[in-house]
Amino acid sequence: MGDAATAPDTRLLDTFSKLLRHHAEHRGDRIAMREKDLGIWQSWTWAEVAGQVRDLACGLAALGLKRGDRLAVIGDNRPRLYWSICAAQALGAVPVPLYQDAAAEEMAFVLEHAEARIAIAEDQEQVDKLLQIKPDNKALEQIVFDDPRGLRNYRHAFLHDYESILAKGRDYAAANPGFYDAEVARTKGADVSTMLYTSGTTGRPKGVMLSYDNVLITARNALQREGLTADEDTLAYLPMAWVGDHIFSYGQALVSGFTVNCPESSATVLTDLRELGPTYFFAPPRIYESILTTVMIRMEDAGWLKRRMFHYFMDIARRCGTRILDGKPVSLADRLLYRVGALLVYQPLKNTLGFSRIRLAYTAGEAIGPDLFDFYRAIGVNVKQLYGMTEASVFVTIQPDGEVRADTVGTPAPEVEIKIEPSGEVLFRGPGVFQEYYKNPEATAEAKTAEGWVHTGDAGFFDADGHLRIIDRAKDVGKLADGSMFAPKYLENKLKFFPFIKEAVAFGDGRAHVGAFINIDLEAVGNWAERRNLPYGGYADLASREEVYDLIQENVEQVNRDLAGDSHLSGSQIRRFLVLYKELDADDGELTRTRKVRRNFVAERYGTLIEALYSDATTVPVETEIRFEDGRTGTFRAELRIRDVKTYPPAAPAAQAAA
Amino acid sequence: MHAARQIGGPLLQVENISLSFGGVRALANISFEIREHEVLAIIGPNGAGKSSMLNVINGFYHPQEGRITYKGKTRARMRPHQAAAQGIARTFQNIALFKGMSTLDNIMTGRLLKMRQPFFMQALYLGPAKREELEHRAFCERIIDFLEIQAIRKTPVGRLPYGLQKRVELARALAAEPELLLLDEPMAGMNVEEKEDMCRFVLDVNEHFGTTIALIEHDMGVVMDISDRVVVLDYGRKLADGTPDEVRADQAVIDAYLGVSHEETASAAAE
Amino acid sequence: MSAFFIDPFVDIFSYPAFFLEVLIGGLLAGVMYSLVALGFVLIFKASGVFNFAQGAMVLFAALTLVGLIDLGAPVWLAIVATIAVMVTLAMSIEKVVLRPLVNQPAIILFMATIGISYFLDGFGQTIWGSEIKTLEVGIPKSPLMVGEVLISRFDLFAGLTAGVLVAVLAIFFQKTRVGRALRAVADDHQAAMSVGIPLRTIWVIVWSVAGIVALVAGIMWGSKLGVQFSIVLVALKALPVLILGGFTSIPGAIVGGLIIGSGEKVAEVFWGPALGGAIEDWFGYMLAMLFLLFRPQGLFGEKIIERV
Repeated sequence: MGDAATAPDTRLLDTFSKLLRHHAEHRGDRIAMREKDLGIWQSWTWAEVAGQVRDLACGLAALGLKRGDRLAVIGDNRPRLYWSICAAQALGAVPVPLYQDAAAEEMAFVLEHAEARIAIAEDQEQVDKLLQIKPDNKALEQIVFDDPRGLRNYRHAFLHDYESILAKGRDYAAANPGFYDAEVARTKGADVSTMLYTSGTTGRPKGVMLSYDNVLITARNALQREGLTADEDTLAYLPMAWVGDHIFSYGQALVSGFTVNCPESSATVLTDLRELGPTYFFAPPRIYESILTTVMIRMEDAGWLKRRMFHYFMDIARRCGTRILDGKPVSLADRLLYRVGALLVYQPLKNTLGFSRIRLAYTAGEAIGPDLFDFYRAIGVNVKQLYGMTEASVFVTIQPDGEVRADTVGTPAPEVEIKIEPSGEVLFRGPGVFQEYYKNPEATAEAKTAEGWVHTGDAGFFDADGHLRIIDRAKDVGKLADGSMFAPKYLENKLKFFPFIKEAVAFGDGRAHVGAFINIDLEAVGNWAERRNLPYGGYADLASREEVYDLIQENVEQVNRDLAGDSHLSGSQIRRFLVLYKELDADDGELTRTRKVRRNFVAERYGTLIEALYSDATTVPVETEIRFEDGRTGTFRAELRIRDVKTYPPAAPAAQAAA
Repeated sequence: MHAARQIGGPLLQVENISLSFGGVRALANISFEIREHEVLAIIGPNGAGKSSMLNVINGFYHPQEGRITYKGKTRARMRPHQAAAQGIARTFQNIALFKGMSTLDNIMTGRLLKMRQPFFMQALYLGPAKREELEHRAFCERIIDFLEIQAIRKTPVGRLPYGLQKRVELARALAAEPELLLLDEPMAGMNVEEKEDMCRFVLDVNEHFGTTIALIEHDMGVVMDISDRVVVLDYGRKLADGTPDEVRADQAVIDAYLGVSHEETASAAAE
Repeated sequence: MSAFFIDPFVDIFSYPAFFLEVLIGGLLAGVMYSLVALGFVLIFKASGVFNFAQGAMVLFAALTLVGLIDLGAPVWLAIVATIAVMVTLAMSIEKVVLRPLVNQPAIILFMATIGISYFLDGFGQTIWGSEIKTLEVGIPKSPLMVGEVLISRFDLFAGLTAGVLVAVLAIFFQKTRVGRALRAVADDHQAAMSVGIPLRTIWVIVWSVAGIVALVAGIMWGSKLGVQFSIVLVALKALPVLILGGFTSIPGAIVGGLIIGSGEKVAEVFWGPALGGAIEDWFGYMLAMLFLLFRPQGLFGEKIIERV
């Protein structure tokens, strides 16, 4: 409301400390931050935050923090830690937020590499890790803690209570009038504003250096494109070291002046979400999934009438909800039914989910299942996908309103250019492109071209509507024998979105066609089998059933049908599959600890099965040593079936839509 | 580790306590003391009389012989609610929570003794009564924060897993601001992580509030780590008492723990 | 068949004002059942004891009150004195019956309350005599016309009284520390003692409150029917009310009373002719039986899930 008039001009106010002063002066009594503490939402106005940051900055200066120094920030999403970031920036120092759940050894590397002189830690847990690291770390001089609990007997001269630093800061400011304002005035947009370490899948973490211009302009562009205002409420619950939180809960909040809310603890996030009802929200797909699961479980326990009502109106929502949200034509009858459904089901549901006020919800990070995605959109929650990375200050592409589909990540964000290499790799260029990797020029040169293009490492293409589709990591993308593109993870994800399929491994690089290994979901298929009175003895038995193969075959053929309509991937239709006799397991080295398939290991271990997949055989004998839960080993012998699957002729997208 | 904490004089002295049920002797001539601000562990094999000892201190059982001196005054036969009024709070081996109430309501019951407003004022929720209620609520919130159970504040405790129920029970005991806290097997049935958490809480309580703690525990590692002194009971008798190191070196204790000859008879006899 | 399935409805729609009158009369009579049921619920909630003596307490309270008034005491003084008697009774029950039976199974305590019941019946009539007495405490009895509907002023007064009583009890249970302590004791005796709740005091309070509720019920029933032994039988009507409402729910006792009261009146007036009358006497029990078949925990009672 009227915020367009007071919205700060990021061209003039080109750093966060300047923006903070602007908010304190122009809208000082509005709420900047809330935190749930002792069961109550405590709040701070912009004027209060500005005062805290000033005192803290002066205190840190008194403690010896200077321009260009690094300040490590470690802990859950606490207001004081966000203020520490701003205070460091006011002094021209560079804040380095660290992942709070990292073990001491992992933390040691980043602290050492960043040469942080001062660390601000949330609590005893983090202080203990720092104390363990400190003897071997030459740079780290001082540690400041927020929560004194359990620390009263720690007697180190270099350990300071946050409160004592504030007091020190007030003294310092009194002794050096004008110091803080002069320091803030010296900051400028081209300076490095923050360093975020990416936990790469391979090698050591890299320190991504982002300038104020990177963060501010990207944040502003996204706000404008989405029409977000100073009235938003957002929940800060994802790690502060992650670029997403830095943009959504810090950068964008300071640019637009909206309110950031910190949950009581990591365990209360879902409760706090429900209580708060944010208007702007980000979550990876797994969070949307767990929120939905809790609702579905409660719904199963609900009374008969409630359950019937829920299912009836959810069917209506699935039929027309997303079309209504996208502003597409819907019949009057459906529109009226949807209204009734909104009153009886969708609104109460959104209320219990914490989405009653939501205006914009993002998801990113991994592919989201179409059913999950459609569920939220059907009840009127505007969930959209974006594609981004630390090196881009988040935004590379965003789904525009009204053009939201589960399988694309949208169109380029404002001022962002995208090009696709012949290899299929996606490159981008734009205002958010990072400066460099700290102390790692080789990696910088590898990731960023002289013209400013950044390699994403992801393979993708633009579809007919100009939307980017990310299909796989570029290094995993191969070619079938006929030269058409083969993206194993894309196929595997498509398969895994079916509830009966838990894991899938697709093969095809250099081969004539695609074949796949399937792991069934023991719980889902087991339930299915019980409902049909199909007795079975454990996973291996169930997996070998003719009926289960039929079930999976339907899923695979559905995937093929989808692929047939896809001009880039129609050649990747799956010709043959088999259901593995055991579940892929991290303990056996077949999956990583984060449950990603280790493709090469699997290919090697199950070489004979792959050969059979590419032969004419309909069964393959297997004999293997398996390890039981109790550690004993035994031999497993069986004839494993291989199924041929129907494939579909490639169809033009228009024909597909008509079908 | 406990540099700032000063262990003081005796808070509670148990002298020549004997307790029998019918003809079965549960405690025989037991004497020891609990000192201010210390963590005292009572250990012993099953049926050694540990829980009986706690029940005597707490007023659930009345010993036939012996004397209990609490805060310098010899205690007459007393009931559990009187013990509570004098600053003795406890938890139970088998968890005694109000299962139908939420975590917060359970903890609030720990404040009942501190409520002073006449109940017609509470009923009308007027001025001072409202203020009092809010003060107690704020106190309970500090305990919830201290024990990190914010996420289950509104959950009926009957639905909580065992480990969390134990933590809620500790919270309720702390809500009474006890001088002496009796913990009956606070870590029984917990996994390693839960045990570590509970140890940390016990030590934090002791350090933060200066609460004197007497606990019964089976896990020797835990006992040796967190207690200042240890009393060893066996078959209703006291075998030893002293610092963890002294107790570990005591021949009678070693015999009792290694030689299991009379354990069956002991468990048959007591409790 | 039509006498059962059609005629009553024809009557209802032909004479809506009369139906309303019957319904309101039934609802207000139901409130009276609720008053007795309330006493049961209180004691059951706090101690898990099904107090068979609640009916006897109603009679005893009414007898005492009438006796005192007959002795020449002003009504207000007689009420205060009766309250004192009921509190004394609660203390005696705690000392003589509950304390020695602590930690005994619920069935033993139930049998003890049967004993209390016989004792009170006998003791009350020994002291105050067994003839029917009229109780006059100044409750208006003349009927009230609202439009075409005739409402008994007495029933209206009873309804209001019950409403106030329930409100007071609800506040007492929810807001005060005594209420909190009561809920704690109901939940777990041992835990309650360890947080410093004196069990005996709580029992005395619960039985005193149940005694006062019995007095209110006694005043109402006594004024309506006269104070006589049959009041104890009226208390039996509280049983279906409890089954309907759930043994642990105060709102359940109220709603259960309303349903049974209105149900039996409407059934009697409109279906009575078809079934030969006297439906009123068994209607409540039949409804309760249906409930036991389909929803044994009652409308508001807690679902009891036995853990194995």
